[in-house]
Amino acid sequence: MELLLSNLAHGFGVALSLQNISFALLGALVGTAIGVLPGIGPVATISLLLPITFGLPATTAIIMLAGIYYGAQYGGSTTAILLNLPGEVSSVVTTLEGYKMARNGRAGAALATAALGSFFAGSVATILVAASGPLLTQVALSFGPADYFSLMLLGLIIACVLAQGSVIKAVGMVVLGVALGLVGTDVQTGQQRFTFGIPELSDGIGFVPIAMGMFGIAEIILNLERPESRSVLSTKVGSLWLTKEEFRRATPSVLRGTVLGSFLGILPGGGASLAAFGSYMMERKMSKGRHLFGTGAIEGVAGPEAANNAAAQTSFIPLLTLGIPSNAVMALMVGALIIQGIQPGPRMVEAQPDLFWGLIASMWIGNLMLLVINLPMIGMWVKLLQVPYRYLYPSILVFCCIGVYSLNNNVFDVYMTVLFTVFGYMCSKLKLEPAPLLIGFVLGPMMEEHLRRAMLLSRGDWGVFIQRPISATMLGIATVALCLMLLPNIRKGKDKALAE
Amino acid sequence: MQVKINAKDLASGIFLVLVALVGIYLNQDHNLGSARRMGPGYMPLMVFYIQAGLGGLVILFSLFSGPDPMEKWTGMDVGSMVLGIVAGTLAWKISPSLWSFFGQTYNAVGVGIAVGFLVMAVSAGWKVLAIISAAVALFGLILEKGGFFAALTAVILVSCLADPSYTKKGAVGVLVFLLVLSWWVFIDQLDIRVNLWPQS
Repeated sequence: MELLLSNLAHGFGVALSLQNISFALLGALVGTAIGVLPGIGPVATISLLLPITFGLPATTAIIMLAGIYYGAQYGGSTTAILLNLPGEVSSVVTTLEGYKMARNGRAGAALATAALGSFFAGSVATILVAASGPLLTQVALSFGPADYFSLMLLGLIIACVLAQGSVIKAVGMVVLGVALGLVGTDVQTGQQRFTFGIPELSDGIGFVPIAMGMFGIAEIILNLERPESRSVLSTKVGSLWLTKEEFRRATPSVLRGTVLGSFLGILPGGGASLAAFGSYMMERKMSKGRHLFGTGAIEGVAGPEAANNAAAQTSFIPLLTLGIPSNAVMALMVGALIIQGIQPGPRMVEAQPDLFWGLIASMWIGNLMLLVINLPMIGMWVKLLQVPYRYLYPSILVFCCIGVYSLNNNVFDVYMTVLFTVFGYMCSKLKLEPAPLLIGFVLGPMMEEHLRRAMLLSRGDWGVFIQRPISATMLGIATVALCLMLLPNIRKGKDKALAE
Repeated sequence: MQVKINAKDLASGIFLVLVALVGIYLNQDHNLGSARRMGPGYMPLMVFYIQAGLGGLVILFSLFSGPDPMEKWTGMDVGSMVLGIVAGTLAWKISPSLWSFFGQTYNAVGVGIAVGFLVMAVSAGWKVLAIISAAVALFGLILEKGGFFAALTAVILVSCLADPSYTKKGAVGVLVFLLVLSWWVFIDQLDIRVNLWPQS
């Protein structure tokens, strides 16, 4: 406990340096902005800003990128409540009750509930990250290569199981991602694999061209093909203060949302949107105000908003302790860390105390900033919405182009981005999810390394994966999860839950 | 009888299988090694087998999970795509002999992509995809020779064509704003190494 406090104190020391605090603020501002704007999400933005972070120290870079992710959870609720238009996927359910509240003249109360609930959940989840980090790291240090391999496999499978749409197609995308990760020089023998003699490919396909093409530019094209439907704000925000009654009703929902969100955030493939959906379902069944659902129940705002922010924070746990990304945003974080020369994994807590504790402290500071950014300054964000998309997309495109080029100062990366743009566009037309591909791409090379090491240690005996208890448990869970999803009833339930 | 084929899944499955087959073919160059000492070809072979298997499953399930038809392609869409691919390939192969600059690094690839997509942009179905992709390719093509500002001007003006609601005034406004903003962020603040003006 004492150690935790002194570590946290150290973290606050790091996070409160002028540079770190200003980049945390920048991240929070950018995050809120993209959260407010529909059509651009955290994955695209983080891949967009990745090249900008190269010049920064690793800690500062990660602090800013993290701020974008959880900032987007705050911003997304604003448009959901005021315009019935989710800024992010994770705030889709907030539109259901939040917009009704706004129609009832309680927009201010809904916004305040969302912001305060998010802040509370964010604070609790941050403490959870701080407490569980070192503990899990201890566990992870006893992992052998076989255990790691199985853990990553489990992560990939759960990411697919929880993905939207067909599970088999999602697994297919993961495997395709792993295959793309194979391109480049084989680490152990130095042989070039699938490089077609192109020297630029000997280091592997770039992470940024894939992320920017599939999530950044392909997204622009899809948005442009859809007709724009953005109504100008007509609702009045009204008083931001909650009545006593509202406060009493929202509190238990926030608590439940925090617990559920914290848990779902840790799961691979979980993350903010799943948490928000889960919490909405839970509130509709369990809360005292469930009979009011559909007429603007504050519980339906408080629960999901708390849950999505809690999950945004706790999804850092697998990344920081095990080096395993649980969703596409975390996969980008792995990319950012590797570019900075830091190998994510259990040794990171000890080797990079500044990064680990500084990030945790900055999360809390960032949440506090977001409270200020969102509540009193709400009018400014609403104004941002009046900027039509046609003025936004050229900016995104320009930042993508310059960003990709400045990676290696090589136009080859620009052309790779075009390739992955077309591929991303094709995937969306075929209903293939791009997120599992990105996770597979990041985890693939690590899995190959652990697999080879494990097999070398076991002298070529595949049994090692079921003889080691940790590994066997992971594989067991993965098998059960996969089988459950193939049962038609459960699959229908999941699709229903995700579709609502 | 009602058609139950899920065309999107069917195409996805075929795509996965095809990529896997190409992968297995290319992987023949790599030493497999043994399970104990895996060579560079071991993991790829495993991955591609799994991928082919999954692709097969996707195809199998697609036969009765539909109907989910693909979007309709007009004759124009098909024609412009074929023409675009032909024109792009020709441009890629021929351009180096037209101007030696196109022969350097990957410039010929850029010419090919830009020409191909600009041809595809003729049909309504491809318009947005083709214009945006061509804009990015033009950026790559112009940047090193024409400089930062020329490349940005190209990408911004071409991408504005993708949205029919743009007015001339609007496009110029966005252009000026973005040129100043990108200069401030990338050159003044981040100091990336790139030529600002055309090189002789």
